[in-house]
Amino acid sequence: MADEDGSFVDFEQIDFLRDRHVKFFQRCLQVLPERYSSLETSRLTIVFFALSGLDVLDALDVVNKPSLTEWIYSLQVLPTDDQSNLGRCGFRGSSHIGVPYSTKGPGCPHPFDSAHVAMTYTGLASLIILGDDLSRVNKQACLAGLKALQLEDGSFYAVPEGSENDMRFVYCAACICYMLNDWTGMDVKKAIDYIRRSMSYDNGIGQGAGLESHGGSTFCAIAALCLMGKLEEVFPKRELDRIRRWCIMRQQNGFHGRPNKPVDTCYSFWVGATLELLDVFRYTNFEKNRNYILSTQDRLVGGFAKWPDSHPDPLHAYFGICGLSLIGESNLRRVHPALNISDRALEHMQQLHRTMETLPCC
Amino acid sequence: TCSLPFKTLGGVENMKCGGFMSVLTDLVSNPAYCGFRDRKEWADLEPVPQDDGPNPVVKIAYSDKFTDVFDYFRALLKKDEKSERALALTTEAIELNAANYTVWHYRRVLLQALQKDLREEMRYITAIIEDQPKNYQVWHHRRMVVEWLNDPSEELDFIAEILSQDNKNYHAWQHRQWVIQEYKLWDGELDYVEELLEEDVRNNSAWNQRHFVVSHTSGYSDPSVLEQEVQYTLKQIKKAPHNESAWNYLKGILQDRGLSSHPGLLEQVLELKETHCSPYLIAFLVDLYEDMLESMDGGQGQEEPLSKALVLCELLARETDTIRKEYWRYVARSLQTRFGSGDPSVPTVETEPQTTPASD
Repeated sequence: MADEDGSFVDFEQIDFLRDRHVKFFQRCLQVLPERYSSLETSRLTIVFFALSGLDVLDALDVVNKPSLTEWIYSLQVLPTDDQSNLGRCGFRGSSHIGVPYSTKGPGCPHPFDSAHVAMTYTGLASLIILGDDLSRVNKQACLAGLKALQLEDGSFYAVPEGSENDMRFVYCAACICYMLNDWTGMDVKKAIDYIRRSMSYDNGIGQGAGLESHGGSTFCAIAALCLMGKLEEVFPKRELDRIRRWCIMRQQNGFHGRPNKPVDTCYSFWVGATLELLDVFRYTNFEKNRNYILSTQDRLVGGFAKWPDSHPDPLHAYFGICGLSLIGESNLRRVHPALNISDRALEHMQQLHRTMETLPCC
Repeated sequence: TCSLPFKTLGGVENMKCGGFMSVLTDLVSNPAYCGFRDRKEWADLEPVPQDDGPNPVVKIAYSDKFTDVFDYFRALLKKDEKSERALALTTEAIELNAANYTVWHYRRVLLQALQKDLREEMRYITAIIEDQPKNYQVWHHRRMVVEWLNDPSEELDFIAEILSQDNKNYHAWQHRQWVIQEYKLWDGELDYVEELLEEDVRNNSAWNQRHFVVSHTSGYSDPSVLEQEVQYTLKQIKKAPHNESAWNYLKGILQDRGLSSHPGLLEQVLELKETHCSPYLIAFLVDLYEDMLESMDGGQGQEEPLSKALVLCELLARETDTIRKEYWRYVARSLQTRFGSGDPSVPTVETEPQTTPASD
C-alpha cells in the first residue's frame, strides 16, 4: 500500500488494535501494580479514562455497570447530619482517607474528609457514561462544595483545604456545572476574567496570567468557555483567529503542547479538540496525526504511550483513542470536544436534563 | 512483640534517592521488618484499612509495608492527632507516595501545631523536589513554607538548579513567577533569561519569562524599550532562523500596536526572507499584510498587500508549511472574502471534507 509520497507503508504497523485496547482498559479497572501508587488519590480519574475509553470503543458491555456505579457513589462526600461540611462536598478520588464504605447518606464526620474538584468532575462523567440518572447525587451539596473552591481571581483550588490553583480546575468546575445543568456553583464572570488574563503574548493560553501558553491549559480555557456558552462573547473574531493560529502551529506530525517541545499523543486530543471547538480542526493534516498516534500504540499490551516505544498508561490510551475519534477513525464513537464524553453519553445527559427541567422542584 | 527499636526515617539524608532506596530495600527484604502494628509505641492506635466495599475498582496491589504505613496514617488522621510520631509517619508516607495531597496537608497542620523548625522543612522539601520535580504537591508545599517564613531568599537559586536539569519544567517556572511577583525580585531576572537564551535560543519558557519580566518592569510602551526588544529578537532570529519562539515573541510584542505600523519592519523582514527564511517568517509577513489591509479600512490600494498576502499563503501551502496547507488556503480565502473586490472571475474554492486515511 503506497501513501501519498509513493513510499510503501507497512499496513500492519498502522492498524488500530481495538480489542487490545478493550482488554487494556478492562485490566486498568481490575488491579494495578504497586508502582502506580502515586495514582491512589486519583483512582476515580483512572476509572473515567477506562469507562470513557470503553464507551468510545463501543465496548461498555464488558463492564459490570451496577457494581461500578455503587463504587463511584461510595466516593461521594455527603453532608453530615448537621450540614457543617457543605463546603467539602462532592466526590473523593478514592477511599484513601479511610472513611467507611457507604453509598448513601448522611455523611460520616471526619476531620480530613473532603472532595476534589477533578474527582467530582470525573465521578459525575463516569456515572453519566454508565447510564446512571444521578438521582443519588446531592447536587446542591456538590455545588456548595464547588463554590467553596473558587478564588477571588476566578480560578479554583482542587480541595477546600487549599492546593495549587490553575486552568485545569476552572475546566473541571465548568464541567461540573454543565453536567449538573446549574451555573450557580461558580462566579462565571470571575472565571471568564481569569481565562482572559491567562492569554499569552503568543496567543496561546497558559495555566494563569503570565505563564507560558500550553496545549493543555488552552484546551481547558476554550472548552470551559464553550461549556459556558461564552466563547464568542469573550474573544472577538480577531482574537479567536490568533488562538486558532497558535493551536494549528502545534502540529508537527502529531501534536506538541508548547513551541519547540516534542510531540506527545495526548495533545492530539488537547489541541485537536480545541481546534475542533474553534472550527478549524478540518484544516489539520489527518494522516500525519493518525500515523503519529498509531506509532505510540502498544501492540502487545494495548493502550497508547506519549511517545513510540514507551510504556502505555491509561491517560495516553484514552486520549490517543479520543484523538483518533476526532479525525473520524471508523468504529469509534464521536467525542464531544468540550465535555470529553462520547456523543452517546452526552445524549443520555441531555435526556436527564430534559427530565429534570420538567420536575416542579430543583 | 517487636524487638527492633523504633526507626524514624525522618532525616533529610535519607531523602536523597540513593539513601532512601537502600533504607527501604533493607527494610523490605529484611524478614525481621517491624511494621507499625508490631511496635509497642503504636499499640494504642487501631490501624484503619482502606475500604473499597465488595467490588473494588482500579485496586492498587500494595505491599505489606505500604499498607502498614498508610493504615496507621489513616488512624492518625481520624484522631486528628498532633504529635511527633504523627509527623514522622507523614515522612514515611511521603516517601512511599509523595503525590498524596492529604498527607502533605496533615503534615502542614502538624508543622504548625508542633511549631517545627521551618528552616529544616525547607531543607527537606528541597531534597524531595530535587528527586521528584514534576510533582504538584511538593511545589505547593514549598510555596506554603516560603510564605510562612516570609523568606524567598533561597528560591531563585533553587529554581535555577532545578531548571538546570530541565529548563522547561512548568512547575519550576510557575513557582519562579510566583516568587518574583510576590516578593518583587525582578532585579537580575532579565539577565538570567538572557543566559538561558544564550544556552538555548529555542527555549520557549525562557522567551515567555522574558515577556513576563519586561511587561512587569519597563513595559513595552516606551518606544526605546520596544525597539531594543525588536532588535534583540531579530538578532536571535538571524542566529537560528527556524525558531517559532522568537517569531512568536516578535509578533506578540508588536501585534497590538499593529504589525504594519512599526517603521521599517516590513523592509527588515523582507530582507531576512532572502537569507533567513522560515515558515514563521512567511506567516509573519502574511499577518503584517493583513494588518496593513485592516488599517486601510477599505480605502485605496488594497489590491497590492492583498495579492502579496495571497501569494505568501500559497507559498506556505505549497512549499514552506505543507502540513498546514488546508489551513493556509483557508486563511487565503478569508483574506479574499474580507478584503477582496468580490471579482466573480476569481474562483473561491471550498475544500472537500477530509476522509480518514486507511479507514474502512
